Amino acid sequence: MEEEHHYSSASEPERVSPSISRSAALEALKNGPRGALVIAATAVGLLLVGWLLFYFVVFLTRGAVG
Amino acid sequence: MAELLNNEGASGLIPEETVERTERRWLFAMATVLGLMLAVVVFTGVTQMMNPLSDVETINPATLHLQGEFVESNLGTAVETDGSITLRFLAEQYTFVPQCAVVPAGTLIRFRLTSPDVTHGFFVGTTNTNAMVVPGYVTNVMARFEHPGTYTMPCDEFCGFGHHAMAASVVVVPKEQFTKLRPEERITTCGAQ
Repeated sequence: MEEEHHYSSASEPERVSPSISRSAALEALKNGPRGALVIAATAVGLLLVGWLLFYFVVFLTRGAVG
Repeated sequence: MAELLNNEGASGLIPEETVERTERRWLFAMATVLGLMLAVVVFTGVTQMMNPLSDVETINPATLHLQGEFVESNLGTAVETDGSITLRFLAEQYTFVPQCAVVPAGTLIRFRLTSPDVTHGFFVGTTNTNAMVVPGYVTNVMARFEHPGTYTMPCDEFCGFGHHAMAASVVVVPKEQFTKLRPEERITTCGAQ
């Protein structure tokens, strides 16, 4: 199959992966970026939990100052 | 030959309504997270009376050593008539005066600081007592230390070449021990404690 030219950051032509077909891409993306959402939500969730822990366990326990 | 993706990227591959729905859900989730954090801060700030310092009390920085509240003999620990403590420090390049003060545990401590030269800051280690000290103004912070011990009080606002070495000590002792101290033992330097 003749590869059409496309840009790649790979150093050798042999390391350039073949392009996928449009129909395969459509199939993979038809439900939206679920995997990315899981990763992003996990990261934000961990940050939120960390923030809450520091706030209640470290900051508030050190007493009110005004 | 199947149509290949080259450099066109993902435009047109994901339906518009899926993109909009995803973005809407993410926006809602992030707004919820931010709203939760804001609600926690506001609720605890209001119910525990935790406020940013809002008093604006001015003083002449050029005559601190000559007259008024911050003359040398008036610095350090002072016991008020209601039993609370007023702790006065001068923050100057590159030391706090006095460098050490003794206060009782479980008592309202009123920190009052000012500076004759540049902006400093101070915080009492492992507590929430943390404020700026600005020349021309008096910083007023109220705190209560429940646990006896020696708390390092470094300068936390860059004030010059010696900033890294600028620190005082606040020695918190049990109330019974504090009442037995002579006044000069409370306000003079506590040295190696």
